Amino acid sequence: MNGIVQKSGFGAAQIILGLSIAILVVMVAVPVLLIFFNAFWVHGEFNIRDVIATIREPDTYQALVNSLIIASGTTFGSTVVGTFFAWLVTRTDLPYKPFMKSMFLVPFMLPSFIGALAWKMLLSPRAGFINRFFMTNFGFDGPLFNIYSYAGIIMVEIMYLFPFVFIQVCGALERMDPTLEESARISGAGLFTITRKITIPLVMPSILSGALLIMLYSMAHFGTVAVLGIENGIFNIPTLIYQRIHQSAGSFDSIRTGTVLATVLVVTAAFIIWLQGKILSKGRYQIIAGKSFRPMELKLRALRTPLLVLCIAYIAFTIVLPTVVIFLVGGLKTYGLPFTWENLSLDNYKFILFDYKVTKDAIRNSLALGLGAAFITMFAGVMISYVIVKMKVRGKGILEFLGMLPFSVPGSVIALGVILAWSGKFNINLYNTVWIILVAYIARYMAFSLKANSAALEQVHDSLMEAARACGATMWQTLRDIVLPLVRPGMLAAFFLIFLPSLRELTVSIMLYAPTTRTIGVAIYTLNEDGETVVSAALAGIALILIITGQTLINHFTKTKRV
Amino acid sequence: MRSRILALILGLCLLPGAVSQAYAAEQKLIIYTSMKESLIGGIVEGFVKKYPAIGVDYQSAGAGKLMAKIAAERESGKILADIIWTSEVPDFYNMKKEGLLEQYRTPLFSEILNPFDDYDGFFTAARLGTLGIAINTDLVKTPPTQWSDLFKPEFKGAFGIADPALSGTAYMSVALLDKQFGWEFFEKLRANQARIGKGSGQVVDDTASGELSASLAVDYITNDKIAKGAHLSLIYPPELLMAPSPVAVFKNSPNLDAAKKFVDYLLSHDAQVLIAAEGTLSVRTDVANRPEHKLPLAADALKRAIKIDYLQMMATKEATIKKFTGTLQGK
Repeated sequence: MNGIVQKSGFGAAQIILGLSIAILVVMVAVPVLLIFFNAFWVHGEFNIRDVIATIREPDTYQALVNSLIIASGTTFGSTVVGTFFAWLVTRTDLPYKPFMKSMFLVPFMLPSFIGALAWKMLLSPRAGFINRFFMTNFGFDGPLFNIYSYAGIIMVEIMYLFPFVFIQVCGALERMDPTLEESARISGAGLFTITRKITIPLVMPSILSGALLIMLYSMAHFGTVAVLGIENGIFNIPTLIYQRIHQSAGSFDSIRTGTVLATVLVVTAAFIIWLQGKILSKGRYQIIAGKSFRPMELKLRALRTPLLVLCIAYIAFTIVLPTVVIFLVGGLKTYGLPFTWENLSLDNYKFILFDYKVTKDAIRNSLALGLGAAFITMFAGVMISYVIVKMKVRGKGILEFLGMLPFSVPGSVIALGVILAWSGKFNINLYNTVWIILVAYIARYMAFSLKANSAALEQVHDSLMEAARACGATMWQTLRDIVLPLVRPGMLAAFFLIFLPSLRELTVSIMLYAPTTRTIGVAIYTLNEDGETVVSAALAGIALILIITGQTLINHFTKTKRV
Repeated sequence: MRSRILALILGLCLLPGAVSQAYAAEQKLIIYTSMKESLIGGIVEGFVKKYPAIGVDYQSAGAGKLMAKIAAERESGKILADIIWTSEVPDFYNMKKEGLLEQYRTPLFSEILNPFDDYDGFFTAARLGTLGIAINTDLVKTPPTQWSDLFKPEFKGAFGIADPALSGTAYMSVALLDKQFGWEFFEKLRANQARIGKGSGQVVDDTASGELSASLAVDYITNDKIAKGAHLSLIYPPELLMAPSPVAVFKNSPNLDAAKKFVDYLLSHDAQVLIAAEGTLSVRTDVANRPEHKLPLAADALKRAIKIDYLQMMATKEATIKKFTGTLQGK
């Protein structure tokens, strides 16, 4: 097993290790450390009283509470919805299950802030299409539902985040050893007892780990709260950081408040990750067992049709309706006109793609940033994962710790960190250039790359490399001829795992953009804020087309490759 | 395969580089402005036609973003822009105080309307923006004629003002209304459940959609939407809210001559006609308003406008915004 120990004290292995550590330190550790430093050190001395004072300020305190309320509500709701649908598509005889399953995964692709924009159009209290429909046709004297509220924000987040639980629970239910349930059945246990004593305990770790992922995501989520909350004074941590920094054009006071809030986010995130690790390490071994058995399916009988209708209604309501609204509004001459043929045209779409400098810049920036970040992060990720997974050199422990960092640092924290690190402090000033967004993207998406690449590398057995070395190949030759070809699928996966999300990224770039470095997400958001509702909807429509085409291509591409 | 990847990477490295290099590559007149693409684009086009030898580039963004960029550029030693043209008057007083601006007394001064009593050539108004009440014509049956009409039940929960933390013009209007009517004005709005919106454009779109019945609205934004068919109308109560848009040249600009030429062009009849076409007030008396815009006459507007001390307004900005959100959101 120890075929790759370097004999010389300082060789290729040390260089790779050093380089890996350097990348993680510069890209991730320094920005995060600077946040802690700026939060706790004031005028050169450690000062915890100020930190507490900042947290106890009514605005900041309220933002913390709001983040918690929204994240808890979203987590609870998504867990219920996700578990229910996962059970429905894996364990019952619901018709069209494979189709339903793929439909429930669609929200993964849809950026939630675009969803929030669509729901604003549908459910704003006086003009929302649904609310107005009820008010004019059924004589409601108030809105059916006010989207500018905690409930509204939570509802929209649930719609776009529940797949985290859904996918985990689906996986667990499919992999679960059915003999466990069968033996319980043979021993005379009823369905209720089996569910309570066997199924739920087995699936619980997956449910919890999915739920914690949602909690983590929602705590640090910018878009939905920014679109739906600010109007009623509902701020969470990332939106408050954004507002403070935006308002003061980067004054020290606002950055400090930002760093304190960011510290709270990081600590919460670290706690959540730790909790998740604990839960997963407890539950994993029980699940992965039977492979070729089909788990028994519950006969839904009379409920079959109503549940099918429920699923279809849910999909229509949460996926189809908002998408259609975005495209329709994107076709309007100006917002507020009714959807009639003479008011609809493709002019906005043409304007965005060919005439409007802001959106043309945004599309080009997002594509360039996405490709750039994906390439760099893919290569850096494969190198770092290689050291972590395969190499046995001294000092690897540091790297393992550093490798964990990107997983637990939320986007708005990274944005704040890169502002601190790259705006002239170390003689490099990238602030207000496109490069600072690139640096932030690399830090933000490193986790995805590490995950995909380590998974691929773990499947490459050491003996292959040992064989190559035994035949006299140098380390570089081994890497080039054996390892890289074998991990290429992992690298490809990493590439797309970074490229696609970066096309719709908002949380990081909203804090970093300059006049010519808007990304697609920023352009949609700022156009909406500027009251160019129809143009921003049209751009959102184009973003959706880009993302969905990309995803479909990848699915097709990866499938045919594997066969 | 490898060479293809290599080429791709190379291309990628060059791509964002090209974006950021584009502005530094050659000596060009660079304009930072908060004016909309359609307006600044047309003006630059006209300027280049008149002076084909001068290359021009512009960046259009919110005034706050531009000031942040200028601050960052100052930090690194060099302001890249030659000209700044936004609607945040206090920013110009600040820049003048900090010695960033070049004094330029334009020969066209006698031909234009000047809203600044202390004019000394560091910045010159190139446009007279106004704010009025935009109403949704489907929802509002009796259009308001006075600011106090907004306290009527017709506008209960349906009048919106953009968030002054996000929009400079919104902040200016809050300060002006406070100056004219006292804070009582906002308390009465609060009693009638007035709402805080987001950007100054969004409240107008919300009015067009019927989410609001009326909003405090910027002239050209509203007129643009009316031209596209929105069911809106813009109304000016007697006490007028005016937000002039000054233009200034940066000191140490390597293109001083070209920059001065641009300022003169901006104040000329040709450029001011384009400004009037956008649905806002020209600073020239010889440029008439378009009939479809129903704007007040520029000279009259200047007389009706509420006067304010811009420097003091800037000093109390943060406190006023806090008080405003506190009053309207009842915290």
